[in-house]
Amino acid sequence: MRLRTMMGFLSAFMGAVILVAIPAAAQVTDLSERKIEIRYSFEGADLILFGTTGKLNITGPYDVVVVVRGPDVPSVVRKKDRKFGIWMNDAAMVFPSAPGYYAVAATKQLNQIAGHDELEKYGIGFENLVLELDQDSTRKSVDPAKLTAFKQALYRGRAREELYRQGQDGVHVVGEGLFRTNIHIPANVPVGDFKVNAFIFQDGQMVGQTDVPMVVSKEGFERAVYDYAHQSPFLYGLTAVFIALSAGWLAGIVGLKKN
Amino acid sequence: MPLYLPIAELSMNIILVIGMGGLVGFLSGMFGVGGGFLMTPLLIFAGVPPTVAVATEANQITAASVSGALAHYRRQGVDIKMGAVLIVGGAIGSFFGAQLFAFLRTLGQVDLMISLAYVVFLGSVGGLMFWESVRAILRARSNTPVKVNRGDRHASWVHKLPLKMRFRKSRLYISALLPLAIGMVVGVLAAIMGVGGGFIMVPAMIYVLGMPTNVVVGTSLFQIIFVTSLTTVFHSVNTQTVDILLALLLLIGAVIGAQVGVRVGLKLKGEQLRALLALMVLAVCVKMAFGLIIEPDDLFTVQEVTQ
Repeated sequence: MRLRTMMGFLSAFMGAVILVAIPAAAQVTDLSERKIEIRYSFEGADLILFGTTGKLNITGPYDVVVVVRGPDVPSVVRKKDRKFGIWMNDAAMVFPSAPGYYAVAATKQLNQIAGHDELEKYGIGFENLVLELDQDSTRKSVDPAKLTAFKQALYRGRAREELYRQGQDGVHVVGEGLFRTNIHIPANVPVGDFKVNAFIFQDGQMVGQTDVPMVVSKEGFERAVYDYAHQSPFLYGLTAVFIALSAGWLAGIVGLKKN
Repeated sequence: MPLYLPIAELSMNIILVIGMGGLVGFLSGMFGVGGGFLMTPLLIFAGVPPTVAVATEANQITAASVSGALAHYRRQGVDIKMGAVLIVGGAIGSFFGAQLFAFLRTLGQVDLMISLAYVVFLGSVGGLMFWESVRAILRARSNTPVKVNRGDRHASWVHKLPLKMRFRKSRLYISALLPLAIGMVVGVLAAIMGVGGGFIMVPAMIYVLGMPTNVVVGTSLFQIIFVTSLTTVFHSVNTQTVDILLALLLLIGAVIGAQVGVRVGLKLKGEQLRALLALMVLAVCVKMAFGLIIEPDDLFTVQEVTQ
């Protein structure tokens, strides 16, 4: 895994260097891997994103923000309250379009790169992310303080599972308009289509962006089991019972011989 | 050695999973309980999503119960007829329990119900069992003759119930409604708590039905096989949360552990066994109660919306 990542990075890095050498090249970004396959030994993945500012003709300092957004996972946030001396779920808020994975890496703190409006336009930074609410609670009817509290709770919950991360990873400007960052994908990542956006900012304005697609999918045995469970659930259940019965019976036979 | 679990969708250490299965299997064989009341919280603690933990656990208990029940069957410790009546009750109970589970899930109160069920049932059963077994141990120590009440093991209302049946192996002639009702209660608990229900069935068989202790454990395991098999199929169809790979690893550990557990259990005296089981049940109960009473670090929880 490590070796493959390194090899991928090296070959891609060389490609990027060539691109820098050609003056007319546009802003380019690429990943060390565009397809992450979840197999039995999957423990998460570490990707390297690199890019060049290309023909953006940037003079002077610039900032880079990389946003990785996974497929939407409809989520419900619940708040516990003390009733009858015990803590139980009370208020709840549903976020149908909450990303299942969301990571932001930047050259410096987001609020030093651009203003709230500019960041909100591109969905950069979790606090600037506009999340839909379900039809029962339209944006107007919801108390903004409550919405903020529940949105922050969503971030905390997902961050504990390493699915959301922000303010931890930097983007390194290597020089000559070349930048790179690391992307950490944990093992509990949701499968689906990911979007990796690299934004170039200068003087608080977005001056260039690229969009690289990435896919996380189950393969091999993991995929076969998952598909079987979802396509023929009844047979899957019977199989599970059959395996359990035979394993138990087998152990009983072995136990008998030992006696 | 890490292994990615296809349904739980996370990576776990193989040795850890097999070890957890082995520990619970050992207790299962020793006490004649499925061990679900330990395994389900253990899996959740290890990071497995609660729905996957409950459903997969049912599947794993099946395997542990088969090898345990076989061992008891060879020692003439299974009352098949009594088991069959319990199974019928269990099937009815688990059906209604599953409906209740689905309803509370839409309200977001499943976790609360699971915790409350654990505290109430484990607390009362564990408390009673511990009290009874300590008294029995003290009686044995002081050599006080045990009051033998062979004449009638039941309260008078029990004899007034209709549908009397003869259970030869248990040396009982009682109404079939009694084991049927016990089976139903256990079936409900199996569906809502992710347990086999042995912790409530074993004492119910001893104190309510008055079954002789030598057939109690085997018959309880026999009933658990069928109820957990049903639960596995039910969860597979409804929520696709049974992880075969996780179950397989757990049951590899569990079947080995159960064989050892049965042997150790036979060496211990009945009342010692019950006192040990009662202490364990009470420990889980206290742990659950703390979770309800102490203010959580984060009042908010995030969950995937499931249809």
